[in-house]
Amino acid sequence: MSLLSQQLGSQMVNLGSALLLLTCFAIVAQRRLTACVDMFAVQSVLLAATAALVAFLTGIHHIYIAAALTVVIKAVLIPRILKQVVERLNVTRELVMNVNIPASLLICGGLVMLAFFITQPIIPLGFLLTRDSLAISLAIILIGFFTMIARKKAVTQVIGFLVMENGLFLGATSAAYGMPLIVEIGVFFDVLVGALIIGIYTHRLQDAFDSVDTTKLTTLKE
Amino acid sequence: MLHAVLLIVAQTIVLLAVSPFIVGLIRKVKARLQCRRGAGVFQPYADLAKLFRKQPVVSSTTSWIFTATPYILFASTLAAGLLVPVFVSQTPLNFAGNIIALVYLLALGTFFLILAGLDAGSAFGGMGSSREAIVASLTEPAMILSIFAIALTAGSTNLSTIVHKTALLEGIVTDPSPHLMAFAALFIVALAETGRVPVDNPATHLELTMIHEAMVLEYSGRYLALVEWAAGLKLLVFLTLIVNIFAPWGIATSLAPGALGLGLAVYLVKVSGLAVVIGVIESMFAKLRLFRVTDLLGVAFILALLALVFFYVLRG
Repeated sequence: MSLLSQQLGSQMVNLGSALLLLTCFAIVAQRRLTACVDMFAVQSVLLAATAALVAFLTGIHHIYIAAALTVVIKAVLIPRILKQVVERLNVTRELVMNVNIPASLLICGGLVMLAFFITQPIIPLGFLLTRDSLAISLAIILIGFFTMIARKKAVTQVIGFLVMENGLFLGATSAAYGMPLIVEIGVFFDVLVGALIIGIYTHRLQDAFDSVDTTKLTTLKE
Repeated sequence: MLHAVLLIVAQTIVLLAVSPFIVGLIRKVKARLQCRRGAGVFQPYADLAKLFRKQPVVSSTTSWIFTATPYILFASTLAAGLLVPVFVSQTPLNFAGNIIALVYLLALGTFFLILAGLDAGSAFGGMGSSREAIVASLTEPAMILSIFAIALTAGSTNLSTIVHKTALLEGIVTDPSPHLMAFAALFIVALAETGRVPVDNPATHLELTMIHEAMVLEYSGRYLALVEWAAGLKLLVFLTLIVNIFAPWGIATSLAPGALGLGLAVYLVKVSGLAVVIGVIESMFAKLRLFRVTDLLGVAFILALLALVFFYVLRG
């Protein structure tokens, strides 16, 4: 591959990762639960596109399979499960959170910078064309983690968890051109089963407490 | 020298002539999307002509600020428009001010409009002014940061240099990610600064949540015409800034007549396209509650910040 097209490919991968980060901020700034789920689906589609681009640039075929699985599981199945959960709940939007939205956005901006500072010494050592995405993937993991802490509703906490998983997938793709396929498939089924279990658990939470606010789990009940 | 004067005159005429058309176009798009026929796209010209003929009524409690503001607002907005490359990449006035001067020329107009809103002493004007001050103070950091991100990529704060370099694709870093982030930030800022839908509703005089309309409620006659024209001009300046910074291709990079004509045609198409996008956005989204505006502008600020960070990080 010529130098120019390699540079262009690297920039396209960077652009895809930047768009992924953009959807993270959309999730953080969003109060409506269904819109959060939609943004997660969009993020998964972008992740699959970025992975497919990496597969195309490197000629490693098993990344295509992982990208296809991402579309099927994270962009179609899990959003559908979460939508069903949200439909059963009596809340459509999250009004009270541990950290309000403008502060969350600022903290997430800080987390992105932190991720960049942490990866700064590592990135020049890499030689893959996707190496710049490592910083972004770490930022996405941190933002997902922060979403789980900042939000109270079980559904947004699940989305935070799934965003973290997306960040890990991007990290694996950018740092090592993806994990072995068998590990990849295992992770996908774990995530799917995890989302299913959390969906059922959210139903139970709703039945027991009339709310999906996870902070209520600490209150004692007869 | 003669070329420069002619170009400045031409740019002034284009800006003044196109801005009511853009306002009319957005209204038309919104009307069509609401299954109405709507007024023609040239209705704002007729409105302005009518307002210029009407006798202005000025409250006896107002000071000179009230009557001076329409002129200051109009002049500062037009001056800001002359700093932006419109259809030729090298504007003759590019020595007069860079991108920072542009931001603060627009802020000068906003400042006087806020004062004029307070001047008449009506409750609506005061409310509008206080809200406009909130919005303006929140958009300014986002706008400055996104503009710096672009200026860093082009290596200059001079708008003509930025547009010229990008149009010819010479000497700039072509990594698209910082540009994308800065574009998203600047677009949100443009919507907020020009009082479009997620922040303010330009179509109503009857809402308690209005911002721009509340400030200009006391104006009538030719003063109102100037304020409305300046508002249209500000919208056009923002649209021009966005299309020419992020997609300047087609703009005239030389003074050949053919290139100038093509540049003008391409400019009109691009600006109209962006106006249609704004019309669609206005139809798709509801106005945000006033206290939620900070969330949206927070997103714009963070995007602009990320654009700056990306610029440094993605070059390894």
